[in-house]
This record gives sequence, C-alpha cells and structure tokens, in this order.
Amino acid sequence: MSFVAGIGRFCIFLAAFFRATIRRPPHPGMVLAEAYRIGVKSLPVLVIIAAFVGTNLALQGYNAFAPLGGQRLVGMFVSTAGIREMAPVIAAAMIAAKAGTEMASHIAVMRIREQIDALEVMAVDPMWYLILPRLLGIVLVLPALTIIAIFTTLCSAYLVTVWQLGLNGAVFLEFARQGIQGVDFIYCMTKGLVFGIIIALVSCFFGFEAGRGPEGVGRATNGAVVTVSVAVVFLNYFLSELFYG
Amino acid sequence: MDRPTAPPAVIELEGVSKSFDDTRVLDDISLAIPAGQTTAIIGASGTGKSVLIKHVIGLLRPDVGCVRVFGQDVATASKAQLYALRRRMGMLFQDGALFDSLTVGQNVGFPLEHHRKDLDEAQRGHLVEEKLEWVGLPGIADRSIASLSGGQRKRVGLARAIIMEPEIILFDEPNSGLDPLTSDAIDELIIDMKRRLGITFVVISHDIVGTVKVADHIGMLYEGRLVEFGPTHQILRSSNPVVMNFLRRNLDTSWLAALNAAGTEGVP
Repeated sequence: MSFVAGIGRFCIFLAAFFRATIRRPPHPGMVLAEAYRIGVKSLPVLVIIAAFVGTNLALQGYNAFAPLGGQRLVGMFVSTAGIREMAPVIAAAMIAAKAGTEMASHIAVMRIREQIDALEVMAVDPMWYLILPRLLGIVLVLPALTIIAIFTTLCSAYLVTVWQLGLNGAVFLEFARQGIQGVDFIYCMTKGLVFGIIIALVSCFFGFEAGRGPEGVGRATNGAVVTVSVAVVFLNYFLSELFYG
Repeated sequence: MDRPTAPPAVIELEGVSKSFDDTRVLDDISLAIPAGQTTAIIGASGTGKSVLIKHVIGLLRPDVGCVRVFGQDVATASKAQLYALRRRMGMLFQDGALFDSLTVGQNVGFPLEHHRKDLDEAQRGHLVEEKLEWVGLPGIADRSIASLSGGQRKRVGLARAIIMEPEIILFDEPNSGLDPLTSDAIDELIIDMKRRLGITFVVISHDIVGTVKVADHIGMLYEGRLVEFGPTHQILRSSNPVVMNFLRRNLDTSWLAALNAAGTEGVP
C-alpha cells in the first residue's frame, strides 16, 4: 500500500479500535497473560543485548576520553548515552523484534484463516479481543523492561570499566550518578510507554491488513518490524528533544 | 383453489451488487431464503458465492441494494444491532476457522464464554460435550486443534456454530478439501442437524452431489448473477443452459438420467 493510503488506513484502524474499546473494559486475565508472555519471552534477549551495549559504550567512551586524559568521564558517558538514549530504544527494538513480529504474524495468520471473521460472526469484537490485551500487556511491561535495560547496561559498563580498563569503580559510579537525574528514569519509562503503544498498534494494524496466503503473513510481519523500528528511532529523537532539548 | 403457503423469508437480498476494484463480483442479486429450510447457492469457483454469504452475515456491505435478515437491514445496522443479529446465526467456515491456541472444547465453548455469562463452567462444559456428541466427536474436548483432521475440523466448527442454538446456520463450502467419504459424512451430518434443529440452513457449495442431497432449494450463481433459483427438483430439470452445463459437468449423466426417468421430486 502507498504511504499516504497506509496512513489513512491506519487512522481508520485507530478510530475503529477506540470505538470498539472505549466503553468495554479489557479482560484482566488476558492482559496479564500478554504482559507475562511479552515480558518473560523478551527478557533474556533484552538482557544480553543491553549488557553488550553497556560493554561497548564503556570501551568507546574510554577510547574517546583517554587520549584527552578524561577516562573518569566514562561513567558519565555511559549513563548519559546508555540510559537516556540507548536503553529505551534497545528495549523497544527487542520488544518489536520478539513481541511485535509475533503479534503481526499471529493476527495475519488469523486473518488469512478467517479466524478474525469467525470472531466477528460470533459477535466478539476482534479489536477488543485481539488488540486491547496486547496493547495493555506491552504498555505494562515495556517501561519495566526499559528500567531493566538501564541497569543491565550500567552493570556491564561498570564491569568492563573496572575489570578490563582498570579504572576505579567508585569513580565510575560517581560520574555515572552525575550524568543522570531521577527524572531521567521517568523520561525513560515514558519513552517505553510511548514505544509500547506504537509497537502494539502498528504490529496489530499490519496483521489486520494482511493480504492472502503465506506471502501476506510475511509481508505483514516484515512491514510491521520495519515501520515500528523507523517509528521508534524517529519518536526517540522528538521525545529526547522534548525532554532534554 | 388455495395455493400452498410459502414459508416466510428470513434472509432477503434485493438488487445487491458488489465490486472489488474494477471487478463486479455480485451483480443485482435478488433472493429470498425461506425459513426452516435448506437453501444451497451453487456455482463454480470465483462466482461470488462466499462474497454473497459474507453479505448475509454482515462481514461485507453491498455497494448497491439491501440485505435483510430477520427483517433487519444488515447494511445499515449499527454494530450493536449487527452483533445482536449474529447471535441468532452461526457459520461454518471453509476450514473451520478454529483458534489454534485453544483446545477443541474451548473453541466450541467460545461463544458461550462471551455471551452466556449466566452459565457456570460445568454447564458450559456439558453443552460443549453435548454438541461434540451431536457432530460425532464425543470426548475430544481436551484435544488440540492441530491434532484434528480436515473433516474433524469441520465437525468441530459445526459444533461451535450450533452451540448458541442459532436460528440460521451458514455453511461456506462444507465439502471443500475433503475426500469423497469424509465429504459424504459431512453431508449426512448436515442432514442430521437439519432434522435435529429444524432451522434455516444456507449452504454455499460447488459440490453439486452433496448439495442435491441436503438442499430444499438451490440458487445458481454465474459470473456474479443469480441465473436460477427454485426447489431442488426444479433446478435439476432446468433448461437454463448455464445450469445444465454446470450439472452435466459435475453430476454423473447416468445419475441425472435416472433421476429424470424416475420423475420424482426427491433425490437419491
């Protein structure tokens, strides 16, 4: 679909979603099941990637500041870049890659196998049944996963800084503390919240719009992950500008 | 002389046309489907049969014309009205459209779970088991959908379609993708359900042999137009060349000759 037509269809999809869900509360059990599934499935890979982002931030920070005699600034560099920018984007990317693609492909398969039509025929709104629990599940866990990504990044950077680069741990922590403020955690969780909403709605939209056959499922999944990735880095810039600009 | 009273129509289509892009799929269809009987819509693949049935259930809205179910215009109904109508209807999809993540029992009980909050779990379980028994699959409520054969999927889909005790059941290609023996078994099941429930059945099919067995009335779609509609025995003797050609291609000619020679209204 063309970009403009796609935006138009997404707006129609959003309007239908809000109409379908505004007056009907979600099923708590389904929301918790989604939150658990998304959180638990994504956690291991998130921790691994966040850990290695932390190690590399420490190494590159050290390489950048050491020639100027500013090795002690590594902690500040890691906390500023890692916490404010990298951790929310990494957490969102992991959720988009794991949960977002799963949402898009699952709903696309339901679409081509007429299961969404079956929901309609049984007078169960697919927007309420399929999308609302996924949206709320992801909104519940992504801020928490973002905080986990922050601490993982910091911990791995600390370990590399102390064990590999031989800098003082207390100095690292002191400069890391100077690089961030309490409000940064609020900003990061807000980013997680916004990214979660985007991941769920865009992924479900692509699933709903899937064309026929296996090719339709593939396109929906691919389209969802590409669109979500672009949307996340795009929004990250504007949110950073809003919070820190 | 008094003419026999025709059963009232529960589904009426008036001048329904539908196009996708530049392709006209339904072209000025007018049709009245009588209550309490089995009406089959036949035609080759791609003639708009599934599109027609999707108009009846409100999954598609006509570009032109009107679709009334129980006297309610489906095209102009609000979502709440449409859902209220659908609770009085059931539908068997081509592949069953069962939810893979749920067990057989959860699939069959799905409409109860959402619309019959007055029933407790034990009552719902009892109804699920009863309907599975009706379709010849007792004791499989705990099985996964992946473990079912094509014929079993259709049976489970039918159990789900009847669990809310609907007044109309729509069958979308009930024989598609099945071997002849399983296909016969599904036809027998439809006849059994018709006897048991006495409600309105609408069957979409390109399988004329099965259709003749189950249908009281047949309508033939050709290139989006309804070329013939009437009682089954009348359609089998139709002089319409399109109908004749379709029957000849799909029925054994000796079977047709025997039917004509017998001169009966019934079918083998």
